[in-house]
Amino acid sequence: METDRLATLKKIASIVAGVLVIAGIVAIFALPRPQQRHYPKRIQVRFWHMWTAEWARKVSDICDEFNKSQDKYEVIPLSVPSGAADSKFLLAVAGGDPPDVMAQWNPVIPYWADSKLLQPLDQMMTPKQWKEFQDTAYPAAKKIGIYKGRLYGVTTGTNVWAVFYLPKHVRAAGLDPNKFPGTLEGLMEWGKKLNKFDKNGNLVRIGFLPSWLMEFAPIFGGRFYDPKTGELTLYTRENLRALEFLVDERNKIGYAKVVRFESGLRNASSGQGDWPFMGGFYSMTIDGVWRVEELRKYNAGVRRDNAELRRNHGDPRNLKSEVEYGTAPVPPPTGGTKNAGYADGNFLIIPRGAKHVEGAWEFIKFWSGIENPRRAAEFYTWGGWLPLNTAVANAPAYKEYIRKNPQFKTFLDLVSSKDLLTCPPVPYQAFLIDQINRADDFATRGSLTPRQALETLEKDIVNERARRKELGYND
Amino acid sequence: MAASKRKGGGLRGAIRRNWLGYAFISPWLIGFLAFTVGPFLASVFLSFTRYDVISTPVWVGAANYKQLFAGDPIFWKSLAVTFKYAMVAIPVGIVTGVALALLLNMDIKGISVYRTMFYVPSIVPVVATSVVFIWILNPNGGLVNSILLRFGVMGPNWLQDKAWALWSLIFMSLWGVGGSMIIYLAGLKDIPAQLYEAAMIDGASAWQRVRHVTLPMLTPVIFFNLVMGTIGAFQYFTQAYVMTAGGPEDSTMFYSLYLFNRAWRYLDMGYASAMAWILFVVIMIFTGIIMKSQRKWVHYGN
Amino acid sequence: MTKRSPTGLGGYQKLGTHAVLIMLCLPFIMPLVWMVSTSLKSDSQIYVKEGEAAVAFSVKNLVPSPVKWDNYPAALKTVPFAVYLRNTLFLCALTVIGAVASSAIVAYGFARMRFAGRDALFYVMLATMALPAAVTMVPTFALFRWLGWYGTFLPMIVPSFCGSAFYIFLLRQFFGTIPEELSEAARIDGASEWRIFVQVMLPLAKPALATCALFQFLGTWNDFFGPLIYINDPSKYTLAYGLQQFLSNYGSMWAQLMAGACIFTIPIIVLFFFAQKTFIQGIATTGTKG
Repeated sequence: METDRLATLKKIASIVAGVLVIAGIVAIFALPRPQQRHYPKRIQVRFWHMWTAEWARKVSDICDEFNKSQDKYEVIPLSVPSGAADSKFLLAVAGGDPPDVMAQWNPVIPYWADSKLLQPLDQMMTPKQWKEFQDTAYPAAKKIGIYKGRLYGVTTGTNVWAVFYLPKHVRAAGLDPNKFPGTLEGLMEWGKKLNKFDKNGNLVRIGFLPSWLMEFAPIFGGRFYDPKTGELTLYTRENLRALEFLVDERNKIGYAKVVRFESGLRNASSGQGDWPFMGGFYSMTIDGVWRVEELRKYNAGVRRDNAELRRNHGDPRNLKSEVEYGTAPVPPPTGGTKNAGYADGNFLIIPRGAKHVEGAWEFIKFWSGIENPRRAAEFYTWGGWLPLNTAVANAPAYKEYIRKNPQFKTFLDLVSSKDLLTCPPVPYQAFLIDQINRADDFATRGSLTPRQALETLEKDIVNERARRKELGYND
Repeated sequence: MAASKRKGGGLRGAIRRNWLGYAFISPWLIGFLAFTVGPFLASVFLSFTRYDVISTPVWVGAANYKQLFAGDPIFWKSLAVTFKYAMVAIPVGIVTGVALALLLNMDIKGISVYRTMFYVPSIVPVVATSVVFIWILNPNGGLVNSILLRFGVMGPNWLQDKAWALWSLIFMSLWGVGGSMIIYLAGLKDIPAQLYEAAMIDGASAWQRVRHVTLPMLTPVIFFNLVMGTIGAFQYFTQAYVMTAGGPEDSTMFYSLYLFNRAWRYLDMGYASAMAWILFVVIMIFTGIIMKSQRKWVHYGN
Repeated sequence: MTKRSPTGLGGYQKLGTHAVLIMLCLPFIMPLVWMVSTSLKSDSQIYVKEGEAAVAFSVKNLVPSPVKWDNYPAALKTVPFAVYLRNTLFLCALTVIGAVASSAIVAYGFARMRFAGRDALFYVMLATMALPAAVTMVPTFALFRWLGWYGTFLPMIVPSFCGSAFYIFLLRQFFGTIPEELSEAARIDGASEWRIFVQVMLPLAKPALATCALFQFLGTWNDFFGPLIYINDPSKYTLAYGLQQFLSNYGSMWAQLMAGACIFTIPIIVLFFFAQKTFIQGIATTGTKG
């Protein structure tokens, strides 16, 4: 039984709460609809992309720059988070209402081009421009964007991978960070010296643990696709060597120990807001070019936080240290290929059925630097993206970015290599990548030997191709 | 309305009853005919075609089904994974849900706080629960392995160990028990107090009251959660998609995940449609069995 | 008439029960605790210091220092929070009303009315839940496009007014537990089916109705895919979409993401806490119950 006073108080409280809520709701609904278009009179070019977070802001800035630079078109960006992007895009195209230009980073060009989903972009260029493009664009960018001789995607940010290392650890182990190993064997020697174990023999720090077949196969001189014959080359001597190398290195440390240590950290970058390298759990690791920008932001954040801590006379034990790191290309083994590796990237495409193709093309030229590399170089530096061609790389803005972030130079040097391999341009690309990664997974976990893994891979692909043939696909 | 409406009443009454019944279910019927039937029939058709979403579908007869049954090891693996998950997660989910609801039905102070806390994981965005879960199951210092270490046991690598990954996901599914718990709680409140009083007068202990009053009266709700649990378990997808992507080594390659990949990643929409209809048949068989068993254990009304 | 719980408890038992409850619910609130803790850290704090165990599950790691309250205003500025909130509330209100009202009506039909093909249709309705949505997405999209609803909220709103199999099933079970005598009595008094439905069944099924409302609210609140697929105008997107904006394949904004997630979640938790009474405490009943 409650006293009457309590009951009335409760009543009053709930009435007040109710009024507040209603007022809040009314206020929200009374908000004016935000103006989406700043230049309503212009032709609207719809641009869909998959960037989110701060990247989306940079992309919007680039769109703003484009809009300011001319007065015919207005590019309107839409951020479509990657979980839904492919279905939204495909549904829009299938439904006859595609965007005018889209940024993609999944391996889709061969399949979408074959399905007549994309506009060839070379026909938008003058013959001179097309020749210039083929001469000056980096090999990896061309491999990503050109399919069956025609250009379908213009790459505005190639992704390449290289070694990141912590000079502090290297020095502490008695090695010289300025004399980075030139051979893979040398690198593994360094790695062995940098491994750290606790008193129970468990791994506490890994010096260097190579992984990812798609990156190492090219380094060993292997490839998954022969452009001359147009055939897949899955179970080859070099690929096998690469896979055996990955498995053996794991076993040398102790396969179970590695899995144990690694699995605790492997989920980190996808879930915990942590890159184990930054925490010093790997002295050396292989990762992608976007980490440079990430580390730059992180270090800037640390400087900010430390300054704030000092201003507020906080506990000096809470001061964080910036990450001092170096980068170097993955050195090849004896008999391997220098400056090799895997590459993919984000590229711009124009779907068939787009209503404003010229506007889309203007935008693509503007961003990628096909037309004005000096100005476009700035945009590349905003995102820490690798350039499309040499003209952009040589522009002052870009050179300045490299000067400020010397670790970036490794990647720039790499991107000009002709030995970067991209995903084989077959229509069933996505399936192929998944199966290669599965073979990688099974072999490095020890369920299959490298031979068996590659044999199974070949068999699976053969089956899939037979299946597709039966259904009437011609690939 | 007519002054006297009697039950029965020959043909006229039957027609009127029918008409009225249909009137009540008309919202669903209209929606079904307008929004559901079309896509369902379309996907049946698609399962007999090769279709990549962009081009027009091309008829291939039963090729998709044949390929699934005869030549796709991942198909069978994903079925096995899903079955394993369902066989464990469904009963465990029901038992935990009921037990939790019984526990939280008590009239002690602050019980509403506890109820809220158990329901939190269902409200929190998937990204947060996934991350926390990965954290808890971290083999090197996560909560579970830390506790096991105290007892001298070296915990496995959980999500990265092909023997344990599936069990980790089953374990995680328990966090969603708040949803079914609420439904049970609503059901518990509907049980007339008189029945309890009668039981207590007869000298029944707490446990006996639960067994003979609570549980039988709860059976309609348990039945609901059993059917929904079955349908949901066979279509389990989100956590595997977000957290494991089918790994390690296919140990968490759920059927719906493989289906999704086939549909939207490889653009084999026809193949995926065939997969969907096979799953449909499986689910309906299980649901049918459960429905038929209703009579034996579900008490309605009184 | 006091409602007695099936288990009466003495003093020590109460203490023990509290202990058990606290222990049990700790894992359940951990996501929330972690979310709040991360939301008050700066991005560099989230990354562990070198030398620390990667995931030292310690209370120390949970306490942010310094506490960054400005993650919250920053998160609100990063996405147009008010606009998304408005759209979300709009959709939630409509879908909740639509789903609960229509599902209750249909459930009554399945539970209480006898008509030809009732059980068969009920089975068909269950079957509609058994087909994975991934494959009906394309035909459904085509259908909505053909209807001209592409670019509007209609694909998300209208179907909810046609009942949802989940709620229909649930409510049918609840209606099934209500004794026939009540309806009989009303019928003899001359009430029409509709009146019986509204005046006899609905009040008794309030807990179940409120449960459905809660689930539908949460479903719409969290729905990110629906609006995204059918609408191209970001000023019509919802909070769930806004939350996705903080996630990225190339380095998410963890602190702001968690701040956003907290803003997204905590009002619901509070709402649930206060609204519990509606559907769990139940109400004083009439007739043969209580």
